[in-house]
Amino acid sequence: MHPQLRRRSAAIVTAVALLTGCAATKPAVTSSPAAGTSTGTIRYAAPGSPSNAVTDPHGLLPGESDVVRMALTYDVLTVPGADGSSRSRLATAWEPDATLTKWRITIRGDATFSDGRKVKAADALFSLRRMGKKAAENFGRMAMFDLDASKVIDDTTFELVTKKPYAEVGKALEGATFVVPEGIDDFTKPVPGSGPFRPASKGGAQAVVFERNDDWWGPKPTAKVIEVRAVPDPQARAQALLSGQVDLAGGVPATLAKQQEGNSAVRLLRRPGATLYPLVMRMDTKPFDDLRVREAVRLALDRKQLLDTVFLGYGEIGNDLITPKDPTSPKNLPQRTRDLARAKQLMSEAGLAGGIDLTLHTTTAYPGMDSAATLISQQLAEIGMKVKVSVEPADTYFSAVYARKPFYLSYLGGIPFLDVVRVTLTPGSPTNETAWKDPAWSADLDKALAEPDDAERRALLADLQTQLRDQGGYAIWALSDRLDLAKAGLSGVPEGIGFASAFIDQVSLDG
Amino acid sequence: MPRLARALVRSGLLLIAASVVIFLCTAALPGDAADALGGGRATPEELARLRAEQGLDRPLHIRYLDWLSGVLTGEPGASLITGRPVAELVAQRAGVTVALAGAALAVSVPLTAALSWAAVSGPRRLRSAVNALIVAGAALPQAVVAAALVAWLSAAWGWFPPVSMLPAGEPPWRRPDLLALPALTLALPAAAYGAALLRGAIADVLARPYVRDAELRGLSPVTIGLRYVLPMVAAPATRLLAVLLGGLVAGTAVAETLFGLAGLGELLVTAISTRDVPVVQSVAILAAAVVVAGLFAADTAAPRLHPKAARP
Repeated sequence: MHPQLRRRSAAIVTAVALLTGCAATKPAVTSSPAAGTSTGTIRYAAPGSPSNAVTDPHGLLPGESDVVRMALTYDVLTVPGADGSSRSRLATAWEPDATLTKWRITIRGDATFSDGRKVKAADALFSLRRMGKKAAENFGRMAMFDLDASKVIDDTTFELVTKKPYAEVGKALEGATFVVPEGIDDFTKPVPGSGPFRPASKGGAQAVVFERNDDWWGPKPTAKVIEVRAVPDPQARAQALLSGQVDLAGGVPATLAKQQEGNSAVRLLRRPGATLYPLVMRMDTKPFDDLRVREAVRLALDRKQLLDTVFLGYGEIGNDLITPKDPTSPKNLPQRTRDLARAKQLMSEAGLAGGIDLTLHTTTAYPGMDSAATLISQQLAEIGMKVKVSVEPADTYFSAVYARKPFYLSYLGGIPFLDVVRVTLTPGSPTNETAWKDPAWSADLDKALAEPDDAERRALLADLQTQLRDQGGYAIWALSDRLDLAKAGLSGVPEGIGFASAFIDQVSLDG
Repeated sequence: MPRLARALVRSGLLLIAASVVIFLCTAALPGDAADALGGGRATPEELARLRAEQGLDRPLHIRYLDWLSGVLTGEPGASLITGRPVAELVAQRAGVTVALAGAALAVSVPLTAALSWAAVSGPRRLRSAVNALIVAGAALPQAVVAAALVAWLSAAWGWFPPVSMLPAGEPPWRRPDLLALPALTLALPAAAYGAALLRGAIADVLARPYVRDAELRGLSPVTIGLRYVLPMVAAPATRLLAVLLGGLVAGTAVAETLFGLAGLGELLVTAISTRDVPVVQSVAILAAAVVVAGLFAADTAAPRLHPKAARP
């Protein structure tokens, strides 16, 4: 969003909060009966922008509303389960050969596109290849596969070849693998999907209306119609719910969530660990090339204060683990806490007892990220780091700051460990933002991915994450909850974070 | 009619100049649509390929001429981010923005007239109060106006909903309750701004000797207003109307975003942030065309409204 507008949005949030401080206790203003509810229709205000609403499921999906629309229209191969493991969706089985490089993927035989055609293995492989071609726009999601060498076996099975032994194929097929009919490349016109809902022609820029697909193979959704609306302003999403204009509002501001505690007409849904603002320290740039400095920074952070200030306490303190909600994340590690004496000692061991001047980059694009930077600079001042905070424009933050500046706040939302590895922890990659390049670690990663035994592999992956926590260039100070507001009678909202939260086909509204 | 032809040519040149300026401004911003698509996580090679696919590697003037010829033939191209035709994006949103700007105009025109009249010819106390109101109102950011309107008309009095989720597939003018607050958010500062410009013109006319003379002859204020003042301010007022309308069309971004409407303003702001040049160009030039058309109409109408102005 335009930074100016951001600031204005922030201004209105503050102003409304001040002016309507008591509004929480009053009955919410409802719009006229014309927009009223019938239990068959569920209206969702999702984060996203109506202007960026894409139609191609395989490129960049800029907003959550885009992922939600795709997940209603198309089937995916696997979905992330609430516990982080992969669950079957269109794919019913994924089985490797002994080398873990050739995977036999079986899809269900009873799925049909809206034009009546059966969904076949060829459609699935075509869709994966299309994702491979659009690698630049989907963070290289198919990078582990050799799609040219992969082949269709019969109507319901295909062979997926990986470049190296890769035991986590179920995970690689999660969430974004929207299956479209083979041969389709133009998405500016409606494309037949096989998902639980079908976009109705009624709609337009304001909202997209989805009607239940009664031919869907899965559990029959209770909702007849789901209306998805992309609303960029978090405050507007929340107000839409409170005034009865929608039934579910995704990603509402913590300030507003706090006001609604105790309001029985609405329900606050919390998804733990959904968002991180990692503090990035580039390991090939002074002074962060010295492990002692990175450790000093991690020890100087007052995590509780950051959590309470930035996320208003909605979340948990971080333990410098980049993907703490991944099922392979190490458990039972001691919590890292503030230790100024040790941090100062490390600074003087690194020859920086006299202090150092640094610039920390941040932006207003994500709520609280600028105040996080300010607070971090104050906390680091106590170990002699004089940190100047530089607030960058929101619309160029990703191109001017990510993986370019040595010290900044990054953003991660519900991404599995192996996705983070592919994008930001691959040595030599231009998007390796912390300049992480430990050959032994990378070799261990290959070894872990070639380990067929699940428990063994989890242990190896956990160990890699522990090493990264202690040696790497990230400081993860807190995890924020994702906050949604729902009408009191609404149920069936998915619990997981990341892609898991996009699959809203089972939402239902009683009463 | 050479006069009309000249005015037409001038309007056309103005629009072309505006489109060049808009194009150069967008090009001067750091980053481009390929950066936006890569989300900061694409390699330089991938970005280069995206740029080539979108024609962003071509020289600036070629890209501009390409867009211009597209617009002239009625095909302003497709969004670089979503791939959707610009014409479709604009058509889907034009109704909302026209309804919003129209409602705002319907409020701000009489309000501008009332405020500017009260500011120069009301009783002394009223005059100073109205002038203060005009200065404050013209300086208030829309976001603050919106917050105040939501606090009073929605939270406290419950007249209107605090945001405007237009029902899918329903024309916006069918839901005046949802347009009220965003339209007032646009109209109130616009009326104050308009009055700030118009009150001077009215004061000038009131100071003319023949108006004084009419006052001394005992003509009623209404007669003076209609017979002597209105014809003199009609020309500047029409020009002001054109500028106000352009401002309302171009200024809907904040109101649309705050109230959750998908309109042209929100489209423009988002397109600027993603460097979606074909969309920026087309929406901005549409807003410019409204101003230019308004000014053209005002210029053409001026001699008729005030015959003396045509004479040297």
